[in-house]
Amino acid sequence: MAITILAPAPPPAPAHNRRVSTDDEDDLDIDDLPSGHATHSTNIITPGQTVTDDVQWMRGHGTFAEADSTAIRSTLAGTLQKTNKLLSIVPLRARYTPEIGDLVIGRIVEVQSRRWKVDVAAPLLANLLLSSINLPGGILRKRTSVDELNIRSFFGEGELLVAEVQSLFQDGSASLHTRSLKYGKLRNGYFMAVSGMGGGSGVVRAKRQIFTMQTARGGEVDVLLGVNGYIWIAKHVEEEQETVGINRLEETASAKMYSSQNDEISLETRREISKIAGCIRALVDGGVKVEEERIRWAYDANLELDETEGETEYLGGERGKAIVEIVLGGG
Amino acid sequence: MANTIPLSPAELSYLHTSLSQTPPIRPDGRSPTQFRPLVAETDILPSANGSARICFADGTEAIVGVKAEVEKSSARPGATTDDIFKNSRDQDGDVDVDREESDKEGKGRDEWLEIAIEIPGMRDDDSLPVFLSAMLTEALLSDGGLKDRLWINSRFHWRLYIDILLLSQPRSYPLPLLSLTTHLALISTRIPALISEHDEDPLFNDDWEASTFLYPRSGELQARSKPPVTLLVVSIGEAVLFDPSRDELAVCDSAMAISVAQSAGAGLKVVALRMIDPPSRLTAGGVPQVLNSTSNPAATASLSPAEALVLREKDQGQTVWRPPRGGVRRAIISRIIKMVVENNGVGEEVIAGLAGVEA
Repeated sequence: MAITILAPAPPPAPAHNRRVSTDDEDDLDIDDLPSGHATHSTNIITPGQTVTDDVQWMRGHGTFAEADSTAIRSTLAGTLQKTNKLLSIVPLRARYTPEIGDLVIGRIVEVQSRRWKVDVAAPLLANLLLSSINLPGGILRKRTSVDELNIRSFFGEGELLVAEVQSLFQDGSASLHTRSLKYGKLRNGYFMAVSGMGGGSGVVRAKRQIFTMQTARGGEVDVLLGVNGYIWIAKHVEEEQETVGINRLEETASAKMYSSQNDEISLETRREISKIAGCIRALVDGGVKVEEERIRWAYDANLELDETEGETEYLGGERGKAIVEIVLGGG
Repeated sequence: MANTIPLSPAELSYLHTSLSQTPPIRPDGRSPTQFRPLVAETDILPSANGSARICFADGTEAIVGVKAEVEKSSARPGATTDDIFKNSRDQDGDVDVDREESDKEGKGRDEWLEIAIEIPGMRDDDSLPVFLSAMLTEALLSDGGLKDRLWINSRFHWRLYIDILLLSQPRSYPLPLLSLTTHLALISTRIPALISEHDEDPLFNDDWEASTFLYPRSGELQARSKPPVTLLVVSIGEAVLFDPSRDELAVCDSAMAISVAQSAGAGLKVVALRMIDPPSRLTAGGVPQVLNSTSNPAATASLSPAEALVLREKDQGQTVWRPPRGGVRRAIISRIIKMVVENNGVGEEVIAGLAGVEA
């Protein structure tokens, strides 16, 4: 069948029973709410809606109060979060807000004289300074004007990199750095974008954002989950373990650091990469947060389904739903 | 599309190599002829003669409304009084449908069909909407059947306005989406039944239930006649892929829009074919490892520009990405056309799938 055409369906009902309340919508029962953010909350607050006019509450993120009143109103569409006496609104969906230490995947948008502008799915483009990348030939090398002239030989427009948020500017834009052997230019793989931290389904901050999966037939595959929702799935490349001095080590590591040439990738590895991407897509479509554990479960679930229901490359539609069901059932 | 950031050379190279395998490994695991699932419904606008809505899986969505108006025909420059007489001579009542159909043949005019495309963030005279509407109009007119159906009598005709509205940002090339939605809207289009006869001022039946489909659904031959669909097909190496996603379009060697229509009594036939400038041509090529000045500065410094160029050309896009050059081979074009029009081919499956969409 070449084409699948579905009838329009109403949005899925929330998994948890909606509390039937006959109260006026403006009148939330804040006292009854548990402290902390109720993830299953279905009570959506819209911008401008009065959350409460009781003076005992303090207003937090996503709220405002008019000058002449004590009523707390929402500035966002989202759910209510209560922390002791502080009320804030967690948006349903938002762009990624950079935080120091986040591992992000970015794409170079613009090359300037001493810096790159990087798209990290944040409201503002991030900066990557020439001084905050590893220059080839050892980290102790001084940045020269030759490097400035050759800036495009490190990163050109459109190129992908993995980096860490080093600091934040006043306006909330991020400054990145790649001063570690873990970070740098990305190759040998496939890029996909889902939504990141900020609501909805997507990548969440977890203990490990970079992990290696042992696939059934394609060898080892690296998965990099950027906190900003950008994902890189690539063939795992063993680093050459030469016993050399500390300076030599830098040199061997940097030989391929800024290469845009892919290594040999076997067909099986390519298929596995596409399957992992399919699993992640199925998770996102099913409204499941993307993290290491869930991806592993989804991948295993797909392997099981391959055995019971026959192998398929396309992990959308029914197969995707089946995978999500198994993952939600606990692996 | 023009202002999007290009993919990196490593990504392009990875995608291109994966997709030029046999069978191609598509990033979402689809088979070469498989379409992404889409959500479709028809008859959504009560005040239009026909309408449809389609949502693609990537979130792009389009609505098409078809509106018909009666208009007085102006005298055709070449027309003689003979033509008019020929019609009025046919007095002996009892006009069967087939006869009526053949009466209309060749009387339709191109300007009775008007297509307007609205794409958010683009002006009406931007190149993309103009090109898309030219392509869709071309397919609808060269089909022939449609404009003849708009003929009422020698003094009046229907004027058909097709308004195509893309609701979302164009995330990939919107042509297939708009074309499929237009097809769906046209097969759901109904025009009021004509009561008056011959060259009288046209009088129509008030009863909407009695209205007739612009593309009849019953009857022996006419039921097979269908408006054209335009499919986007890309070729990458030897592989031919239908319904390319944004990634696939970004690395394709050539992209082609092929319009096929089903005429009464015959199978599918190609009514229009256009090459589309693939975005892959605008990308920058990768730098082979041997030329990378960051990894071996000493070696690259000794190369003259001419030597470096020779090295790059020798590489032929084998190790790193190189934007496609030149045209597409005729063998591939003929293979694509065959895949679309053959019996039980992609074209038939798409048209059959769309025919099954309920209101």
